[in-house]
Amino acid sequence: MVGVIKGVLKEELHNSLRMKKEYEQALKNLPQGCLAVRKIRGHKYYYLVKRIDKKVKYIYKGKISEEEKKKYSEAKELRVKYRKLLSQVKKQIRFLRSSLRGKEAI
Amino acid sequence: MEKKQYELCLEILRRFHKANILNDFVLIGSWCIFFYKDYFSSVSYINHATLKTRDMDFLISMPDKIKQTIDIPNLLKDLGFVTAFRGTYGYIKLDHPDLIVEFLVPAKGKGTDKPYSVPKLGINAEALRFLDFLSENTIKVKVEDFYLNLPHPANFALQKLIVSRRRSKEDKAIKDRNIALAILKALITKRETNNVRQVFRSMPGKWQTKVIRGLEDAKEKEILSILKK
Repeated sequence: MVGVIKGVLKEELHNSLRMKKEYEQALKNLPQGCLAVRKIRGHKYYYLVKRIDKKVKYIYKGKISEEEKKKYSEAKELRVKYRKLLSQVKKQIRFLRSSLRGKEAI
Repeated sequence: MEKKQYELCLEILRRFHKANILNDFVLIGSWCIFFYKDYFSSVSYINHATLKTRDMDFLISMPDKIKQTIDIPNLLKDLGFVTAFRGTYGYIKLDHPDLIVEFLVPAKGKGTDKPYSVPKLGINAEALRFLDFLSENTIKVKVEDFYLNLPHPANFALQKLIVSRRRSKEDKAIKDRNIALAILKALITKRETNNVRQVFRSMPGKWQTKVIRGLEDAKEKEILSILKK
C-alpha cells in the first residue's frame, strides 16, 4: 500500500510541476497592463497602465472598442485567478516533495 | 482541499449538463469510484478504492455522434483551467491544481498513438483499448438535478483487472488490482454475484483468461470460484 501511495504522490508531483510551467506561461501570454479611464468633458479616454522596467507608464489609447475593453478586463480577472492558482500549485509542490522525502510512514 | 476539489468537479458536471453534452460522456477513472458511493450505500465501502487522484477522465463512446458544438477549453477557462498538450502527439489535458480533465475514446482496430480529434468539442482524445467494454453497460447516478453516466461496477472492475496486467509500473498495477477486487467484493456483498458472472461471460475468451490470471495472482479464491461456476 505504501508503494501505491508513493506512486500516486510521484505522479501528482510530476503533474504539479507541469502545471507550474503552464500557469507561468499562461500569465506571460496575457496582454500586459490594465486599462485606466479618464473622463474629460463628458468623453471617456483610455490609457494602458503598465510597468516598463521600474517605472509605471500611462500609454494613451484614446477611445477604444468594447471588444478591446472586454479583452483587458478578462485578462485582469484571469491574471488574478492564475496567480492564485500558481501559488496553490507551488504549495502543492512543496508538500509533495516533503512527503516523498520522508521515510516509509506516509 | 477535498471539499474544493469536489465543488470543482460538480461545477464541471453542471456546466457539461447545461451545455447538453454530459449525456455523451461516461465518467471513468478514480472519480467514477467516488460516485459509486450511492450505488454501494447498502454495503460498507472500501478504503483503498476511494484513493482518488486529480484525474477526471471522460469517456466519449460515440465521438462522431455528438450533436452540440461546444468549445470545452473555453467553457472551463474562467474556472482557471489551462490547456496543456501532453506527449509527442499533443493529447489535450485541461489542468487545474485541483483537477485534471482528460478525454478518452475506445481504440478501434489495431489502435493508434495519435489523438482522436473531436472538433465539435474543441478537444482531442486519447484512444485506449478495452474502453468499449465500459460504455456497453452503464448505470446512471443522480447528482443534484441531473444524471451522470458511469460504467456498471462489474464492467469497471473486470476492465481494471485486465488493464492491471498491462501496466508497466508495478504500483499502478497494484492500485488497479486493489480497486478491482474491492469493487468485486462490494458487488458480491450486495448480492450481485449473478450480474458479475454474466458480465464476465459476455467478455471475449482472451479477456476472460486475463481476468482469471489477475485473480489467480491476487489469490482471490472466492471470486474465482464465483466466475468459474
